[in-house]
Amino acid sequence: MQARAMKLKPLPFRTEHGARRGDARSASPISRSISASSARFCSQWPLIGRVRFCLRSSSMAGRGRGRRAYGSDSCISRGEGLPPGLQQPTPVFPVMEQKPLPLAGGEEAEYLLALKQDFRGAMKTLPFFIKPAAAQRDVQRYSDKYHSGEQTNSLMDWNLGWRRFPRELQVHLRRRVREVPALSTADSSAPVQKKKKKKKKEEEEVLLKLETLEKKEEHEHSSDEEEGGGVKKKPEEEEGAEAEEEYDEEEFEEETDYIMSYFDNGEEFGGDSDDNMDEAIY
Amino acid sequence: MHRGTASGLEARSATEKMTAQEVRLCGLLLQEHFGEVVEKVGRNLLKSGTQNLRAIVHETGLSVDLVKKCLCVLLQHGACSFIQGRKGPGSPTEYRAHCDRLLRILRYPRYIYTAKALYGETGEIIIEELLQRGHMTMSSTVKTVADRLTQSMEEGSSMDYGEVSTIFSKLVETHFLQRCPPAAGATGGSQTAALTPAAPASSAAPTPESFPDCYTVPQVKLIGRGKRPLASEDGEDQRNAKRAKMDPETHGDEGIYWQVNFERFHQHFRDQTIISAVANKLDQTSGEIVRTMLRMSEVTTSSTASCTKPLSANEIFRSLPATSNIPRHILDQYLTLLVDDPMEFVGKAGESGGGMFIVNLNRALANLARATLESIVQERFGSRSARIFRLLLRKRHLEQKQVEDFAMIPAKEAKDMLYTLLSQNLVQLQEIPKTPDFAPSRTFYLYTVNQLPTARLLLQNCYKTVANLMERRLFEAKESKRLLEKSQRIEAILASLQASGAEPEQLTEVEEMITAPEKQQLDSLRLHVNKLDSAENQVDETIFLLESYISSATKSTS
Repeated sequence: MQARAMKLKPLPFRTEHGARRGDARSASPISRSISASSARFCSQWPLIGRVRFCLRSSSMAGRGRGRRAYGSDSCISRGEGLPPGLQQPTPVFPVMEQKPLPLAGGEEAEYLLALKQDFRGAMKTLPFFIKPAAAQRDVQRYSDKYHSGEQTNSLMDWNLGWRRFPRELQVHLRRRVREVPALSTADSSAPVQKKKKKKKKEEEEVLLKLETLEKKEEHEHSSDEEEGGGVKKKPEEEEGAEAEEEYDEEEFEEETDYIMSYFDNGEEFGGDSDDNMDEAIY
Repeated sequence: MHRGTASGLEARSATEKMTAQEVRLCGLLLQEHFGEVVEKVGRNLLKSGTQNLRAIVHETGLSVDLVKKCLCVLLQHGACSFIQGRKGPGSPTEYRAHCDRLLRILRYPRYIYTAKALYGETGEIIIEELLQRGHMTMSSTVKTVADRLTQSMEEGSSMDYGEVSTIFSKLVETHFLQRCPPAAGATGGSQTAALTPAAPASSAAPTPESFPDCYTVPQVKLIGRGKRPLASEDGEDQRNAKRAKMDPETHGDEGIYWQVNFERFHQHFRDQTIISAVANKLDQTSGEIVRTMLRMSEVTTSSTASCTKPLSANEIFRSLPATSNIPRHILDQYLTLLVDDPMEFVGKAGESGGGMFIVNLNRALANLARATLESIVQERFGSRSARIFRLLLRKRHLEQKQVEDFAMIPAKEAKDMLYTLLSQNLVQLQEIPKTPDFAPSRTFYLYTVNQLPTARLLLQNCYKTVANLMERRLFEAKESKRLLEKSQRIEAILASLQASGAEPEQLTEVEEMITAPEKQQLDSLRLHVNKLDSAENQVDETIFLLESYISSATKSTS
């Protein structure tokens, strides 16, 4: 019954055929007769539909074997065998009888190719390319504390024209607005130097929190005002947007006594070879 | 209020579903250009339609900050838009991704190349920067472009801002660039004074062209030259870069953002395709004539028109380029030839002024799409199947016997071919019963081909093709990831050695770190990746043609 129910297809044909009657008439006599007969039946369609449902089951025997659309084609004579049915899914890479045409070469195609690859490369360096959190190392290392700060998330530094964005996404503006009144009385250089680049990983957060607590203690000694710990904490715990400030990376790096390349553990070989020319290069 | 969605050739209603192939392709494009995090968010938006922030955070499982960043990135590039207060005031902001906008990424190289052909290197870099950044103000564009051009020039010379501004203005005049429509719902504050106040939140999305100042270049004083990046160490460079960002130089055009007008580029591509089709079918001179006609109608024809405004033969004759010495009577003969051509590119609309002629844009697109479909069938199934396909396209409904007769193919083979085409859904079977019980011996079975549904089907095939090509390319790159990284490291060493002036022996020593079979592997990898990339570009040409046809056909019937 289900399969039969799908055969209401002639209905769209009726409207279509009505529109195309002009064409059909100009075609061969066979199609003209089709149009005449179908016109007769189409007008009686609504009644016939119901009758058809009843008659279907009874005339199932007269249908032809195999799938409906295939076996019911009047051109397959009874004696011919149908091709054997498929026993398994079609192969993933079937053999192609017709080989495809070769690609168009030429200057334009090559230039377009170069443009495309350059564009992809450029997009990877822009701040719009949001890198997923770096893979977990097997062991926590001491250098993670300093490495984590190097990955800049400079999307917030990018002048994005925040007015065009909905309020809830305007992290940048809100952060600055909130920080300014709270810290207006404080030492200007003091508060905003920490928390440069906040990583989203939980372990990093813990490490960095410890770090910032250290720095907070340092700065609290230097400034006269005592800032509520909550005020400072809140901007820290907020989304890691970075307001622009007189941030100086070297000053951050001065937290340690070593240059940042000290913490390279040899996994990115090749960037430093200009420093040590006297060493042998293997 | 919506940010303006594309109109004209790419009208897609908000409720239209994205097909699985489109979602897959958009996901891959997002991954390649914006990273996996943005891909997750984008995919979620594409699949589920309109969503608010909380729902996205919940479904993707990412942190709120990350999701916010991703949404910013998508909004910046126009791939997403937001609606505020759809269910009344106080309801959360909802975001929606635009699938067709994301699919444009495939066509970026073509846009950049066209800009280069029309406006030289400056134009090329302007369009490239704007495509990379989504939208920018004029002043920041000019500065960035000038800096980039200065880098590529020799020492001592630099690019003047004025030159870049001129090209920018030219691009705006010819409508290749347009202003971004103001997002009125964003802040509720005052928008830029130049633009008219936005209409109250209505259901229709305002297109960029509905704002009168869409193509007005702001009065900006930009005096200066491009800067060369300082050749200093990294730390210092960053410090300087940070300082440069810090001093806010306002040039009087804050808040006026410019974006690339894809519609205009598509019109240009469409014109180019028509001209080259005419030139291929007839000859160069007729191509020139059609090019003149299209150029004259550039400003008078809207993007949604089905044919250009009528042009008299006198006007055409006057506007022909001076280099082509076509005498008047030859022009008339060519025009008659073009009108009589079965491809119907040019039609005659009247007799005044020596004959009024139009270019049938919709008809031309339909014919070009038909030629594409026929050629696809020919390349996949052979020329005889193509003959059957063409027959069915022209004769609409034919019986099996008629197909064999008209196509002059023996019965058995014709039957096989028809069934193959049927199984691929390129041909449909129509049953006309003679009796109400659908008895097979008393039913007519007609084969038919409908151009529009077939075009849609093949368009989806094209999307699938591009997605497959991209996946294969990513797979190849991932397989040889280790080798690629090694070669990159070697190149970095070589570059730094050369910069610090090393001896040739050291260079060769470093070069030999890559063994010969590895080099071969690298070469073959590069060849494969280039081929796959190039193939994507070429499939995109077909996609453009089919998309243009489908949108023009649905537009004219709606």
